[in-house]
Amino acid sequence: MATYADVKKPRPATILSASAVAAALLLGLTAVPAAAGDVTVQLTTSARSEAVKWYARHLDCEPIEGRAEAIDCGNAVIEFNQGPIMGASQGTGIDHLGFSFADLEEKMAELEAVGVRGSGVRLQRYDDGSTLREEPGLFKVGRIFDPWGTRIEVVEDPDTLGFHHVHLSASDPVRTLGWYRETFGGVPESLRGVQDGLRFGEVWLFASEHPEGQPAPSAGRAIDHLAFEVADLDTAAVGLRDRGVRFTADPERPAGGRSGAKRGFVSAPDNVRVAVIEPGWQGVDADFGSDADEVASAEPYVVPRTPWGTPDLQGMWSGNKAHGIPLERPEDLADVEELTAEEAAARRERGTLGSIWGYEREWRDTTLGYVKSAPSRQVAMIIDPPDGRIPPLTEEALERQRNARQSFGDYVRRRPAGPEDLSAYVRCISRGLPGMMMPSIYNNGLQISQSPGFVAIQKEMIHETRVVPTTEREPLGPGIRQWLGDPQGRWEGDTLVVETTGFNGRTNYRGSSENMKLTERYTRLGPNRLEYRFTVEDPTVWTQPWTGRFEFELDNEQYELVEYACHEGNYGMTNILSGARARDREEAAAAAESGSGAQ
Amino acid sequence: MTKRRHSKPWRRALSLAGLMLALLVPVQAQDASDPVPRHYDGNPDINGVWQAINTAHWNLEDHSAAGGPAEYGTLTTMPPGQGVVVGGEIPYQDWAREQQRKNFENRWREDPEAKCYLPGVPRATYMPFPFQILQGNTHIMIVYGFAEANRTIHMDKENPEPAPIDSWMGRSHGRWEGDTLVVEAAGFTGQAWFDRAGNFASDTLRVTERYRPTGPNTMTYEATLEDPNVFTRPWTIRMPLYRRLEDNVRVLEYKCVEFSEELLYGHLRRREETPTGDDP
Repeated sequence: MATYADVKKPRPATILSASAVAAALLLGLTAVPAAAGDVTVQLTTSARSEAVKWYARHLDCEPIEGRAEAIDCGNAVIEFNQGPIMGASQGTGIDHLGFSFADLEEKMAELEAVGVRGSGVRLQRYDDGSTLREEPGLFKVGRIFDPWGTRIEVVEDPDTLGFHHVHLSASDPVRTLGWYRETFGGVPESLRGVQDGLRFGEVWLFASEHPEGQPAPSAGRAIDHLAFEVADLDTAAVGLRDRGVRFTADPERPAGGRSGAKRGFVSAPDNVRVAVIEPGWQGVDADFGSDADEVASAEPYVVPRTPWGTPDLQGMWSGNKAHGIPLERPEDLADVEELTAEEAAARRERGTLGSIWGYEREWRDTTLGYVKSAPSRQVAMIIDPPDGRIPPLTEEALERQRNARQSFGDYVRRRPAGPEDLSAYVRCISRGLPGMMMPSIYNNGLQISQSPGFVAIQKEMIHETRVVPTTEREPLGPGIRQWLGDPQGRWEGDTLVVETTGFNGRTNYRGSSENMKLTERYTRLGPNRLEYRFTVEDPTVWTQPWTGRFEFELDNEQYELVEYACHEGNYGMTNILSGARARDREEAAAAAESGSGAQ
Repeated sequence: MTKRRHSKPWRRALSLAGLMLALLVPVQAQDASDPVPRHYDGNPDINGVWQAINTAHWNLEDHSAAGGPAEYGTLTTMPPGQGVVVGGEIPYQDWAREQQRKNFENRWREDPEAKCYLPGVPRATYMPFPFQILQGNTHIMIVYGFAEANRTIHMDKENPEPAPIDSWMGRSHGRWEGDTLVVEAAGFTGQAWFDRAGNFASDTLRVTERYRPTGPNTMTYEATLEDPNVFTRPWTIRMPLYRRLEDNVRVLEYKCVEFSEELLYGHLRRREETPTGDDP
């Protein structure tokens, strides 16, 4: 009988870079008992199509005909479910997955070339800077992370290519592997006499001692659960219960199940969630969140009033639902009326992953589970012109653009001599208008407050507040120009209309100038829906006005504005400028050296 | 003097009948015997643009005139002023008085105001900038003239929760006690100063403010400051606030970040031109 004492210990390593991570990766490993043939693995993420693409591109898995939410990784199938990720796989009872490649150096070089940006690949580096090491008696190994927090060990084991293993983290590894063997029938085997484990078909199951205390529950984390297939679930359930296995969910056909197959959940050692499924299991249709508010109600919506009689727009609104809607209609979506729920989820995921890098997943509202509702299915913000594109620039604007010193790309490329070389947003001065109203990757709160005669519009992102009068007042004189202009509001029926001019022109929204006139229309469309329409007129820049729209969503229950003291905590500015000066010094030193060498 | 104080059930009924209320408001406003304008709910109406007129932003305590950086002549001089601390002096613990003196010596570089940092409470109130009170039905917003500072004073929470995280402006809960708006603020970072003289507290500061209208255009502002880690006992500042009476007066945008950048980042500026500079 094999012993399970000789287990791998996690070794120290430095993380190369924080990855751009999102989505819940819920791994269900459907292993068929040893007697049966193939193993199936089941994974879940909040952006199924993105996850399928990632595993296909980087780990050589293959899409499965007729299933958009699962992928075939050779020895196992990984299935992706929809849901927020509550943390990475490490620290739970399912520490990581293993994949094996014939030429690991080549594979690692390929993964390193992808980079961490967007839905890239994060590599873990060892202390000496390498990404691979030779495991004595075994083979080369390296470690990477998928964008959703699943830790993946890549190995070079020619005997088992593709999906290689699941590595558990256990309080008592021997007892844990014993439990899996007795419960699901894995075959005890030793990997080259070095590492003992269980074999489910081709897939290895290993267990190492958990570093400290109890492993955290796997449910809700990047690898949510493993799944094992049994021939007859009802009969098997009786046997499992007889052996003291506790079902946390009785076998049943789940809501949204894509086949008639049943599934149940059992509680495994080390807080690991394990599913037991029937043959023919085809996964569960994605739940993309509730769209209940968008269902047309038979009753017309009556906009509430403040005690002093105006429409009441007050509350804690969130732009999270709109995050990911592009300003302009993408050319390949010219005739699309709206996205499907799944496309919308995937788009927001891309927006979240792609818009920023080096930020931990913990920053992102859309992946933290704060966003309970479905992402917007709107194709683009711009509704006028009808093609969804910003109208052509005027001759004057084209000329100005040609002479412009600082496009956004310049901000990125130019090594700043001082803070002035960075954007107003990076400097924590202002996002300008309409930039300030746009959904952002995090801190999407919008608090609207009202008093008789005034509406205060406060955005969480870099804490900008506009106080809008709803009774007519004298505009500011031309000697006063403001980043956020001079607003004048009025009520048109249930709609708050705000016209703003008097901009200083320094935030330059898509080329806008100090001559911009912004007309905004805020309308409650339902108890939780606030439509935001904005029309940009700037005859010195665009040949015609253009209008966009998106919606904010009421979130009074869980959202509170927390002060975003952007400037006070702008360590980024210090670091950017310090880095730039360090490069200056390096270059000066190199120039001096080559100068003296030439003498 | 007739006060239109409503019992709670009556007020609740009123807030349900929004349209009826809209009719009631002008009637209340016409009551000539009441010097304080009334909000829809019968509480004082403190909506508007207000400002303190004193030298508390230089020093809460009594202070004689003192010079500033000499190159600007008298533009940076601290004018003399009578203190606003009830009883005269701030009851610092010995170490804290010592720290305040150090702060004063280093004020031109260390004062968070110079860095355009959020001013905190109560400092935002008596800085030489107007502020606007927006008094609604669930909360009161105060938008200050300095550094985009603002506060949400929650009026609708029976059992205030502690602040989820420390912040410069803290978390504020308000209630009406008669005609006085009482605001309890806590959850501060402890990094803010009270004035340009380096008076300060720590992150265990609790501030109880009292805004008591004394007429249509004036109110008395009081703030009681408690911080057992810095002071020997709670102490209070008191001053009048005045309504800004100019037609069309407003709190203008004062985004001061860019004016603080030389102070904060000047040492990281490229000083002489080098032949290179742009990354490929």
